[in-house]
Amino acid sequence: MSSASSLNFIQRKFAEYYKEHRSEIQPPPAVEKREFGFLMFKEKMMIRHKSFKDMDEFASFVKRVTPSNVYYSSAYYEQPAAEMDEKGWLGADLIFDIDADHMPTPCGKIHDRWVCGNCGMAGKGPKPEKCPACGGQKFDEKTWPCEVCLSTTKEEARKLIDLLTEDFGLSPKEVRVFFSGHRGYHVQVESEQIRLLDSLARREIVDYVLGLGLDAGFHGLEYTGTKRLQLQAGPSLSDPGWNGRIAKGTRAFLLNASRQELEQIGLKKNTVNLILKSKDVLLKGWEKQGPWLAVKGIGVGSWRKIVEKAIETQSSKIDTVVTTDVHRLIRLAGTLHGKTGLTKTEIPISDLEHFDPFRDAVAFKKGAVTVFVSEAPKFRVENEVYGPIENRKVELPTAAALLLLCKGLAETAGAK
Amino acid sequence: MQELSLKIEDLRGSDYERIVNRAEERVKEAILDAKISEARDVEVEVASFPIAVMLVVATADLPLKRRYALSEAKRVSSLLRNENEEKIMEIAGNFKWKIKPAEIDMPYAFALDFTDFLRNSTVLRESKWKLVNRLVLKGEVYLTLYEAARLLEEEVRRHVEERLDTKVDTLPEELTRRMERLKLLWAEKRGQRQFGELPKDVVNAAFPPCIRSLYDAAKAGRRLSHIGRFSLTTFLVNIGMSVDEVVDLFRNVADFNERMTRYQVEHIAGEKGSRTKYIPPRCDTLRTHGVCPGMDETCKRVRHPLAYYRRRIRAVRRKAPAEQK
Repeated sequence: MSSASSLNFIQRKFAEYYKEHRSEIQPPPAVEKREFGFLMFKEKMMIRHKSFKDMDEFASFVKRVTPSNVYYSSAYYEQPAAEMDEKGWLGADLIFDIDADHMPTPCGKIHDRWVCGNCGMAGKGPKPEKCPACGGQKFDEKTWPCEVCLSTTKEEARKLIDLLTEDFGLSPKEVRVFFSGHRGYHVQVESEQIRLLDSLARREIVDYVLGLGLDAGFHGLEYTGTKRLQLQAGPSLSDPGWNGRIAKGTRAFLLNASRQELEQIGLKKNTVNLILKSKDVLLKGWEKQGPWLAVKGIGVGSWRKIVEKAIETQSSKIDTVVTTDVHRLIRLAGTLHGKTGLTKTEIPISDLEHFDPFRDAVAFKKGAVTVFVSEAPKFRVENEVYGPIENRKVELPTAAALLLLCKGLAETAGAK
Repeated sequence: MQELSLKIEDLRGSDYERIVNRAEERVKEAILDAKISEARDVEVEVASFPIAVMLVVATADLPLKRRYALSEAKRVSSLLRNENEEKIMEIAGNFKWKIKPAEIDMPYAFALDFTDFLRNSTVLRESKWKLVNRLVLKGEVYLTLYEAARLLEEEVRRHVEERLDTKVDTLPEELTRRMERLKLLWAEKRGQRQFGELPKDVVNAAFPPCIRSLYDAAKAGRRLSHIGRFSLTTFLVNIGMSVDEVVDLFRNVADFNERMTRYQVEHIAGEKGSRTKYIPPRCDTLRTHGVCPGMDETCKRVRHPLAYYRRRIRAVRRKAPAEQK
């Protein structure tokens, strides 16, 4: 937890940012129909049910309260400032949240820390379900946006964009991509076409993106009616939709699968041997009909297990709750994230690959601050690499210092 | 409704009797067979529909409204199945569907905009209606002729239901008489159906696996996810558990706050706030959010936790009298 003087300092910096960068905060479409919410620095509470007729009114409110986080509703309302039951829902944008919190990452999140709220036991990595010491289930978490987490979520965003443009036929203009300001990406569709979809319809879209409930039998992997246990054919690489994705995922999996991985997905020993022995034949199969019939003795049951693995690699790991909630509040683009001091930043789809959060979402480009760092991992802001730092007073550029301050890893030690 | 009453005044001609008779018959057929017969006289058929709608609206009975909408939809869909592609396109066009003939070499007849598909598919249960099991390409879902007809049936059902979602102030005396007759018939029919009311006591043994595991977790004082808490509370409130009992269930959870918990449970039970009594999410929603721990045999036959409960209660009941002997 940051001290009062650190919080004061962060808030002062945030106020400066909002004063200088007013024009960079773009209003969402139909700003007057949106509900706004603000998380406050000191009270740690949310001010909700605010509405603004334009961005001038919005800016003067932000100036008055200087919040730590700014949100608006994905929904459009007749009366955005009314109580929930009386708002009059008119529709909502389709939004996707991809956050490292909700998926395993290659870094194993060893950079995260947790402290049990009950007994004070502390540990590294993602928080456990139960405190190993006292069984408590409330934790204070300190997460860290490491570069591995960020590139993992970026890859998930890329897959999502592919699904939305190829399968759902949304034009790259309709699909907006943002860095969330912390550990992930937001993908937002604002077109009229999807606005009235109810929560059930959105859930179907979520299941589609996750590949959840997918039955390979509907995607070409099926028996013939005549011969028992004889595959008819399977999906091929050039097929559209999930057919093609299953094929691509299966190819990628077979290409690199080790004995251990094959056994892990529940294949029998004989089948594993057969696959390893016939890898070349299987991969060659892609030139024609796919590997499905290329080797005798690999049955539909085994293929289904492999396909499940294929689905996992091709699906995009979105947060299911965010997309299905038609009243959700989401962070406003161009505003600061209270956990990092970075901004939620829009990224043109074609630039996604080269987007660098620690360069392109940096809000504070001037000045330096002396802070007392309790513990910081090795990290990078713009082109400079810092740390690890432990229990030391250091002078850092404002953006790097704010990152540590917002994360509660440092305290102010007299600002310059 | 204003429009409709004007038309009724105009109808006082020779056809009036036939049309009103057919209107009453339509509702009667819906009550008795949940299906409305094929048309004989097209003009009577068209004219009797708005009057039938009016009769159903006047009963102000929601289950009857649903049954009537479903029956009309089934009538349309059985007509549609014998139609060719042009006719289906024409009717779909009336409902503003974005639909076109499928251009790819596959067993499909149509390509339908995915939003039109979703609006009508989410109530359908078979896994072939799940979007993830369809061919979806450039915003369009590919359908056979039969599947398009089935989705149109849903569209009609919703459409009729929307028309029924209104109130009528005064009905001409003659229609009121007919309406009362239909209400009586419906009450008789429902009387036969309602032997299976839920028992007053909560029967733990009939809980579905999802509720069982949430219930045990809450009892053991483990924290539940938001959707887990919501599912458990709505379920228990709906099978007749009191607010006090539900609040007690959460007492062991580490961050239990009696005031907050009570407020939320009362809200869900419809005793506070909007006065809506909430019901638990459907099985597939619970699956999406990872609440479903996996299905047992009964799960495969239902799509809602409450339906599971009802089914199990019935099974227990069937057994009980035999055991008493």
